[in-house]
Amino acid sequence: MVSNGSITPSTLSVKDLPWQIHWDKDKCTLCGRCTAVCPVHAIELGVHRKRIVNVLPLEGLHPGNGHSNVYQVYHGIRQKTDPAYACVGCASCSLVCPNDCIAPYRSDEIDKLRYHINQGGQPRRRGGRRNATDPSPGGILDRIKFTRISMLTDPALDAGRHEFELRTLLGRVLPPEETLRVYREQGWIPPVREIYPLIIGSMSFGALSPNMWEGLQMGVAYLNEELGMPVRIASGEGGCPPRLLRSRFLKYLILQIASGYFGWDEIIHALPEMKEDPCAVEIKYGQGAKPGDGGLLMWYKVNKLIAAIRGVPPGVSLPSPPTHQTKYSIEEAVAKMIQSMYMAWGFRVPVYPKISGTSTALAVLNNLTRNPYAAGLAIDGEDGGTGAAYTVSMDHMGHPIASNLRDCYLNLVKLGKQNEIPLFAGGGVGKYGNLASNAAALIMLGASGVQTGKYMMQAAAGCLGSEADRCNICNIGLCPKGITSQDPRLYRRLDPEKVAERVVDVFLSFDTELRKIVAPLGRSTSLPIGMSDALAINDHHAAERLQIKFVV
Amino acid sequence: MESDQFFRISGMENGHRIESRILEERLQKAVERGHRFLEVEAFGQHGIGGRLWKAGDEPVTVRILGSPGQRVGSMGFPNTRIEIKGPASDDVGWLNGGAEIVVQGNAANGVANAMAQGKIYVAGNIGARGMTMTKHNPRFDPPELWVLGSVGDYFAEFMAGGIAVVCGYEPQNPENVLGHRPCVGMVGGKIFFRGPHKGYSHADAKLVPLSDDHWHWLLGNLKEFLKAIGHGHLFQEMSHREQWQLLEARTPFEKTGRSRRSMQSFHREVWEKELGRGGLIGDLVDMDRSPIPVITNGKLRRYVPVWENRKYAAPCEASCPTGIPVQERWRLIREGRFEEAIDLALAYTPFPASICGYLCPNLCMQGCTRQTVKMPPIDVSLLGRESIKAKAPELPSPSGKRIAVIGGGPAGISIAWQLRLKGHDAVIYDMRPNLGGKISALIPKTRIPEEVIGKELERIREVVPHVHMQQRMTRQDLEQLKADYDFIVIAVGAQKPRILPVPGKERLIPALEFLRLSKMDQATVGRRVVIIGAGNVGCDAATEAHRLGAEEILLIDIQEPLSFGKERKEAEAAGARFRFPCFTKSITDEGVELTTGEVIPADTVIISVGDMPDLDFLPENIATERGFIKVNEHFQTSDPQVFAVGDAVKLGLLTDAIGAGRKAAAAICDILEGKRPKGDVRQRIPYSRIKLEYFDPRLMRFDDVNQCATQCSSCGACRDCGMCVAICPQAAISRKEVKNPTGFEMVVDPERCIGCGFCAGTCPCGIWNLVENDPLD
Repeated sequence: MVSNGSITPSTLSVKDLPWQIHWDKDKCTLCGRCTAVCPVHAIELGVHRKRIVNVLPLEGLHPGNGHSNVYQVYHGIRQKTDPAYACVGCASCSLVCPNDCIAPYRSDEIDKLRYHINQGGQPRRRGGRRNATDPSPGGILDRIKFTRISMLTDPALDAGRHEFELRTLLGRVLPPEETLRVYREQGWIPPVREIYPLIIGSMSFGALSPNMWEGLQMGVAYLNEELGMPVRIASGEGGCPPRLLRSRFLKYLILQIASGYFGWDEIIHALPEMKEDPCAVEIKYGQGAKPGDGGLLMWYKVNKLIAAIRGVPPGVSLPSPPTHQTKYSIEEAVAKMIQSMYMAWGFRVPVYPKISGTSTALAVLNNLTRNPYAAGLAIDGEDGGTGAAYTVSMDHMGHPIASNLRDCYLNLVKLGKQNEIPLFAGGGVGKYGNLASNAAALIMLGASGVQTGKYMMQAAAGCLGSEADRCNICNIGLCPKGITSQDPRLYRRLDPEKVAERVVDVFLSFDTELRKIVAPLGRSTSLPIGMSDALAINDHHAAERLQIKFVV
Repeated sequence: MESDQFFRISGMENGHRIESRILEERLQKAVERGHRFLEVEAFGQHGIGGRLWKAGDEPVTVRILGSPGQRVGSMGFPNTRIEIKGPASDDVGWLNGGAEIVVQGNAANGVANAMAQGKIYVAGNIGARGMTMTKHNPRFDPPELWVLGSVGDYFAEFMAGGIAVVCGYEPQNPENVLGHRPCVGMVGGKIFFRGPHKGYSHADAKLVPLSDDHWHWLLGNLKEFLKAIGHGHLFQEMSHREQWQLLEARTPFEKTGRSRRSMQSFHREVWEKELGRGGLIGDLVDMDRSPIPVITNGKLRRYVPVWENRKYAAPCEASCPTGIPVQERWRLIREGRFEEAIDLALAYTPFPASICGYLCPNLCMQGCTRQTVKMPPIDVSLLGRESIKAKAPELPSPSGKRIAVIGGGPAGISIAWQLRLKGHDAVIYDMRPNLGGKISALIPKTRIPEEVIGKELERIREVVPHVHMQQRMTRQDLEQLKADYDFIVIAVGAQKPRILPVPGKERLIPALEFLRLSKMDQATVGRRVVIIGAGNVGCDAATEAHRLGAEEILLIDIQEPLSFGKERKEAEAAGARFRFPCFTKSITDEGVELTTGEVIPADTVIISVGDMPDLDFLPENIATERGFIKVNEHFQTSDPQVFAVGDAVKLGLLTDAIGAGRKAAAAICDILEGKRPKGDVRQRIPYSRIKLEYFDPRLMRFDDVNQCATQCSSCGACRDCGMCVAICPQAAISRKEVKNPTGFEMVVDPERCIGCGFCAGTCPCGIWNLVENDPLD
């Protein structure tokens, strides 16, 4: 806006924006790197007028003689106030500034921009993560403590010295008598995978850039083949590169099928040429970040590559509706979907559904317990991340994972099936950096394993997003780190090898931390799934709700 | 030493095992009393033989028969030698501080745990976690553990010093004398061993070659060990140097963690070997995906600058209905080309002085970018008045195409002028003896000096021929003209006053008629004049009425008067009052009766509610709309051979009429050249692109055209100031002389440019734009 121009209802000042660019004129060398790098063009070179009034001794002077005005012009970095160009706080400018003279700072009060990001009646959409309204650090998972430290009561183990085999089972585990019966009758025993309990959650090829996706996959392959850790990664919806389908690395992949079914014809065509079975098939019914909502990959993001992998022509929009089209009831829907997916690989690959955290999770679970083919249930809590969602879905919809998972586990206990259907929990695991403790808490609450996505993006690729609405522009293809962009100019900032190295670092350090947590429990060969007597929390209501100890 | 010289202590008394505490008391007391040879019959008592410091420097020998309990010899002193005549329980020599302990059999778990000095000789195998947490205190010799056979699992964990020798004789597991996972956390010491192993912690320990010194030490001490355990005969069998190996702790600098394959190697040798070159998607795309820096050049820039010189119209030019590129004229003045600046206007208007200098409300100034920040616009009227000096351009030789222009007012003159400048013959047909229409006939003298109009009309007459029609145009005349000419242009203006259909309307004097007569000094007015319709024409009428002697002048209107500018100001200066809303009911000899019943007394009532064109001569195939001729965007009527411009199409300003003439002429020229008329497609440059910070905001008026020229921001047209060249942090911009109308262009070296947009940010004229680079895939 010009300094003395007119205003409209959506005319904002810098002060009204969530982020303010602080720029230091003295330190700036006007190198242009900040404006060149800003993903959203929130800053530009501005021409500034500086007025100096030269005052002479007042005696003997009259208006129009003596005193003078001198105008000088200087150039500097100026922040735009048009809502379309509002700073997102990514601080890419600071990243490239040679003189540390520029940085975004969060506004000292709630921004006014939020009331104006619905121009044209289009509510705000964004990528990234939920905005935490609770300013206290950490969610419930971060507040759970591990209070059972068995120095003498159990054979205490040394996390650094002892050998650990931290593995979990993905697949339907029949009770022993049932296994014997089936064995005797030469019947079908459900496939079960022994895998690492931390799974990289579904992030599609398309949501992620090719370099990011490849980096994650490469890191997983390295963990398996060089370090012997059976880490698995879920593909997300959006197909799978044909080469990966035909490689031995496929066994490290959990293929996801969702309501868009993108890329599945390519997967079917690859069936005869597959060297290995995939680890499992995940049927996505819901996503924690946007429960009950679908996705739409905009046509302009469907470039040649994405189109080839998804099996569509380039330049068309790709909708993934909130629901699968041919399913009408839970009994019918889940059974038919699970059957179909089992059949694709001759009943050798475990198939399980993934739902968003919901108060109806128990209904789904109860249904699965009656379906001998159901290989497990994955629940994605409200803190899950996304490539694009309506803010209202992200911030206000869904169920926290801890209590949802706990309910499901305790229900299985009631049914006596807690060792038969594994539960996988996701959504905000490690969102404040505490990946291992969050994972261990969920495991002790009853999860057989956990899925994590955002943490991987942050740790393996330097994602800048935060639960306080920083960056979060995954949806517009401008990711400054190249994680969620399909633009080679951005994603080539990301080196797949470096991503893979970070994936390895994350899993190795996670493994150490997880051992530090389970060693005092005397566990080294089996995960303490559901071992909730090791947990406590200093919140009475939470303790009651989760049925764990209350400590003060 | 004979056994009868030993002081015997039994762990059993009266058929009961005595407590470890009692046995310890008796041992300590015996030593205190001077016994130096002790024989203990053990029944599992704890810690036998340790802490015998009361003997001072004198050696003490403790011989143990039976079954010693855990931690035999724990906290042993250097004066103590303990002989266990059979196997031993856990933790032999725990925290040994110097005792020599001989076990004549196997020993269980934890042998030598935390031993710091002394020696432990075991004539068999040991259990798990032997030699763990051992130390070497530099004040003393390192502790030693000698094992004849093999060691159990987790040997030498956290071993921090000392020497262990594992002789591998009749080992418990012939395939592995060191047990499972030895040396985890080992930080010091040496392990000599003989026989196969199944691995050790490579992160902590390393196999080193056996040096001569090592070997001599080993041989010498081996002999002593074997002698001590009574197996001297094995010495020969064990003294083959090649059978021995030596493990040493890695120094802190040698600890590298587990060595891993580099990701680069994995990428190339595993990943791409399985997937093929290019990895996951190498088969689908061949684009380069190698890493790039954040700041990039060339085609890797996300945004690129574009020098959009003259892509947009300057706001003055865009606001001017005539379309005069005002900023161009100021540029010429800045360049010292004053005459060219003056003459330039004639390419756009035949009335640069009359209209720009006097009669026009100067929409160019209203549109001036400077207005947007309340800086005074560049005063074009100064330039306009100078334009009286403009010389008629040289005319091209006739093309042979002929156009008849009906109407010699501003619109007609404009189109004829333009057509003639393009080489076509344009003939004006007009009823009046003199060209000029409204300008010469109606505009009050107060508004413009007569000689200005006269001089401009003279210039026009040199260019445009004029046929003075003696009678009104008829349909037949028009048909004839159509046959004689290539195109017909109707520019007859709006001369038929609109009269209110109220009683007494015959008393109304149409404003145009009044102005025409007034200009010829033939009009008269009463003392009280009411003007119905308070637009600019009404204002002119008011000013004239004042000049002619009216004392009370009232302009009434049904709405807030639309008059503005000089006309309004001059009417107000003449004392005219304005009143609205007033709805006329009738005109009487009293004056104007309003619908409210009020009568406004008036001697003269002038009606000025607009005029209509008189179009009786129009053939039926030329469509009209609400009394005006209907035209398309190129001013072409429904008869393609006939164009119409000026007030006959739409009432407007003089500059509107002139502009219409110019645009219609361009369309006709295009059609004559066989082209589709295109018009000017340039849009007005967005104000936000202009940087007015370069100009003095306190400059409130302009003394002369030169000052105007310096303060013009040259919107959308490069002023060649070099700011972009100066600001570019990459020195990527340079000025290149080229053969275009500007004579130069600014070029960007893509290999230097980083797409920062500083050029766009700095440009005073808004020439540079930063646009998204072409997609890469």
